Amino acid sequence: MLALAAAALLVLVVLPLASLVWSSVTDEGRLTLANFRAALSQRLYVQALWNSLVLGAWTAVLSVAIGLPMAWAVGRTNVPAKKFIHLTAVVAYVTPPYLTAIAFVYLYSPNAGLLNRFAREVLAAPALTFNVFSMSGLVLVTVLHTFPFVYLLAASALESVDASMEESAQILGAGRWRTAFAVTAPLVAPAVLSGALIAFVNAIALFGSQAIIGLPGRIFTLPTRIYALFDYPPEYGLASALSLVFVAITVVALFLQRRYLAKRSYVTLGGKGSRPRLVALGPARWGVFVFCVGVFVVAVLAPYVTLLAVSLSKSWGLGFWQNLTLKNYRFILFEYDVTRRAIVNSLLLASTAATAAVLLGSLISWIDLRTTLPGRKLLDYASLIPLGLPGIVVAVALIQFWLRMPLPIYGTLLIILLAYTGRYVPLGVRSASAAFRQIDPSLEETARVTGAGWLRTFRSVTLPLARPGLFAGWILVFVPALQELSASILLFSSGSITLAVAVYNLYETGYLEAVAALAVVTMLIITAAIALAMRLGRSAVVGERPTVAG
Amino acid sequence: MAGISLEHVVKRFGELAAVDDVSLEIADREFVTLLGPSGCGKTTLLRLIAGFVAPDAGTIRVDDRVLSIPSAVVPPERRGMGMVFQNYAIWPHKTVFENVAFGLDVRKVPRLEIRARVAKILEAVNLGGLESRYPSQLSGGQQQRVALARSLVVEPSILLLDEPLSNLDAKLRERMRWELKDLQRRTGITFVYVTHDQSEAMALSDRIAVMHQGRLQQCGPPREVYAQPTNRTVADFMGLVNLLPGRVARDTSAVTFGGAYSLGVALPPGAREGQAIQIAIRPENIRLAPFSEAAGAPPPDAVPAKVVEVTFLGNLTDCHVTLDDGTRVRVQAEPGAIFDVGQRVLVRLDGRACTAFYD
Repeated sequence: MLALAAAALLVLVVLPLASLVWSSVTDEGRLTLANFRAALSQRLYVQALWNSLVLGAWTAVLSVAIGLPMAWAVGRTNVPAKKFIHLTAVVAYVTPPYLTAIAFVYLYSPNAGLLNRFAREVLAAPALTFNVFSMSGLVLVTVLHTFPFVYLLAASALESVDASMEESAQILGAGRWRTAFAVTAPLVAPAVLSGALIAFVNAIALFGSQAIIGLPGRIFTLPTRIYALFDYPPEYGLASALSLVFVAITVVALFLQRRYLAKRSYVTLGGKGSRPRLVALGPARWGVFVFCVGVFVVAVLAPYVTLLAVSLSKSWGLGFWQNLTLKNYRFILFEYDVTRRAIVNSLLLASTAATAAVLLGSLISWIDLRTTLPGRKLLDYASLIPLGLPGIVVAVALIQFWLRMPLPIYGTLLIILLAYTGRYVPLGVRSASAAFRQIDPSLEETARVTGAGWLRTFRSVTLPLARPGLFAGWILVFVPALQELSASILLFSSGSITLAVAVYNLYETGYLEAVAALAVVTMLIITAAIALAMRLGRSAVVGERPTVAG
Repeated sequence: MAGISLEHVVKRFGELAAVDDVSLEIADREFVTLLGPSGCGKTTLLRLIAGFVAPDAGTIRVDDRVLSIPSAVVPPERRGMGMVFQNYAIWPHKTVFENVAFGLDVRKVPRLEIRARVAKILEAVNLGGLESRYPSQLSGGQQQRVALARSLVVEPSILLLDEPLSNLDAKLRERMRWELKDLQRRTGITFVYVTHDQSEAMALSDRIAVMHQGRLQQCGPPREVYAQPTNRTVADFMGLVNLLPGRVARDTSAVTFGGAYSLGVALPPGAREGQAIQIAIRPENIRLAPFSEAAGAPPPDAVPAKVVEVTFLGNLTDCHVTLDDGTRVRVQAEPGAIFDVGQRVLVRLDGRACTAFYD
């Protein structure tokens, strides 16, 4: 068992990473530091590094500025329409970030952007125009995807703070604001900071928006620079060195997050769970509400309405509603033969990768939790490595590894599958270990005592009991895998094209209206797939829901 | 001066009346315990007094100041009370000193005075020298004292305590009981104490207010509530009790039970002959004696019975006997009493230790 899991991790993660390191310090077989010297001194790359850090920092700060007030409003005030505010964050989170980026290009590209033209031609107010192809534009579209990290973590932290913590401040004479700043804020600060760091790590790894928004504005970042190094002639050594710099930033951020959380985590599980009194905001509640509606308009309404409008128009412009058409959809669905291939590939890849990641994750966490095999901790740690690897770095590593191997899988679906499985294996491990922890070992021991072998026990006791948790893990991998772009963009070939890559490629050709149609189709497929998976999962879970003891 | 006055207080959560028309006067410097099973409304009543919950009807006053009516509630931060929570609610991000100093800080007490008062109160609760510790470095009992010190340092005239001892182990709980009682005597603070543990309530309180399903059942000194419960619920909750079905005898100062035995019992007013009644008597107020039919008829004040179960508990012997009509009675006899299962015995009930309820 251990050998199987170890072999899988070796192939998926460790060896590709090793060949990445090897390639970064060698040149034609000789050891050299030239690649790192270039990556850390040439203006081109230092600039990209700097841009990535600026992007990540601004995104983190603004994610807190948006996510924290929303979480506080929902958890602690009498703001109206809380479900709607929560849903805003969730939808913003599952919307593929490259679609948001494309939508904002339709609205704010310097010349053709609808809102820019509206400002110039109708309002005659050029001061109201905004160039999306800028660092501000890039931060804007990135934040719309990352603020939910802060929102979700802060909301759950606020929920876990027992009401008595705040009540004891009030009874001692502290007013609501004083209580909020002296008690509530410090208690949720670790979660907020952690959310900000996760926002940072995710922001700098998003290839799609950085290519769509950054490249026209000549704002290169680490992922787009690495991508450019694969243009002919590819510079593998330099790309590897740059990738490792990228990994270092990510790992430092994640390390800070873990350490801070471990030191100052005040998860106070409430005894009675009495809900705190909500702060009555008075008229200010409408101000807070308008803020949340504003977030909804920018993060959800604007991108979706824009994509839908563009997809239905003959040519995108101020008068687009006068020439509505369905021909973009006809083109995408019936004439553009890439679409069907991309849909099939993406569904196949996402479901296979999700299954593989959860199976491997179950194996690893089971070995960690239920056996005393030597090396099980090492296995557990190795399975966490991909957390520190941005998508494009996974691709760079896999390419280098498999180019050295006699197996010609480069350009096939298999290499993309390896990339997805490797990337998302930590999610599989985490969900599986959460699921297994809830199963009292005595339930398994009972099966063993009654004569069931190890495999039988695993199959008829452990697995059914863990099913709801494992299924949740499957969805957790399936959804992002369906929209994956950062790794796929370097690994695809015309036969193994995925949905996200198809959107990106079509966007590159400049056929805007068709891109929008494909984007809408993509969103529909994602939504339908999630809904279907949820329904299947629920019936599987409800149908034979086990009672978990312990 | 800080007497609390509750008048016809009602609090509903949806359909459920958590507090149902409760009126209670708590005198200045009194130690009153709200006692009842979980869900009886005692914590809600405490939170009403604290101002965390607004009443749906009724008035809450402290001395002559109205604090809560349905339309207007003085917020907790302006009531000047102290409160100790079941989970202590010690702020994990503040040191012991910062926790205790918070209330003084809010009251804008000068720095130097804060330091002196915190040091003094920590000394009083035996936490001197732990000022710079974080709560995670303290034991449960120490956290409990920090919570107490934090509430006491601002010198409230009323202290509310919500099951403050329920998370401590048995030994520590007993010690903290005496410390609390002693503290209340020394400070003269009015204590309102919530618990579901009747022995804790009896050990601590000047008066116990027994609650059940949102209603105040009985309020009185511990001995009175224990010995003269006003209804079956209170009798049941205050300790072990036998409930014997009986009927009011012809002369309405006695009841018949267990066939044809008669017992002189103080009956509640309005007793009619033949009326069904429940006689409540605690196991320690029943005496057993060996009995043999051959020795003749039993004396008039005793009832023959058969021993069905004997358990030796160290400080007493716990016996279950059945009267001849099948009524089962639990008796706690002195530890030296030796009875065998199946043995015939005489049961003597003390009529003055009985209470009777219509049911």
